[in-house]
Amino acid sequence: MTSRADVTVRDANETAFVNQREQELFFPAGLLGFGSCHQYKLEHFKPDDGSESPFFMLCALDQDLSFPLIHPESVSLDYRFPVTPELLMALEAKAPDELVPLLIVTVRDRLEEITVNLQGPVIVNPNSSLGLQLVIEQYPLRHPLLQRAELLTTPFTKIPADP
Amino acid sequence: MLILSRRLGESVTIGDDIVVTVVGVSGNQIRLGINAPKAVRVLREEIYKAIQKENQSAATAADPRSRLEGALKQFRGQRQEGSND
Repeated sequence: MTSRADVTVRDANETAFVNQREQELFFPAGLLGFGSCHQYKLEHFKPDDGSESPFFMLCALDQDLSFPLIHPESVSLDYRFPVTPELLMALEAKAPDELVPLLIVTVRDRLEEITVNLQGPVIVNPNSSLGLQLVIEQYPLRHPLLQRAELLTTPFTKIPADP
Repeated sequence: MLILSRRLGESVTIGDDIVVTVVGVSGNQIRLGINAPKAVRVLREEIYKAIQKENQSAATAADPRSRLEGALKQFRGQRQEGSND
């Protein structure tokens, strides 16, 4: 995946952050279409039957609103996003590796129709507890999640690297 | 809607710190230069609307939790069937 040449790019690496149970996050600008909702809690998604899943839930604290998220590595995506000085400033990050990308998952009734949004990733800085939705115009809005379907029931932390 | 005519090179100001300038005209396409504070998100409308709509779909049904749960069950079911063959 390419990105603009005028900005630095980082790899979406696993961070200690994902092992955390849950974290409250503040989105100063909200998500697109949900600009007035700023306070969220990010937690691992645990199915009711106690099994493992690689998903996260971003749940609004003060309204009934939640978004399923997944880390790009969980679906073996080599996902890169442009890190600008403005992005670092907005999320109060000193270095690009503080930033964690999470992709919003659109769950549809048929399994094959489930997609992740590569165009509007949620970027969080666990250190400052800030987040925002970035827009990367040249990336697809709907990328099928099931290209690596077997990963769907694997918890994030146990996913082996691609051979 | 406020409608203004501008020539090539002319601008419109919005508030105190946003300036939109016509920088090119070619057939039915015009190029706009936009000067805005970094905190202001400037996007092509169709991109903005598409992401907004996708966000709404992702959050839809008021309970993405149970949908996700359903999807995972469905997936496990499929895998089970596959392994019985």
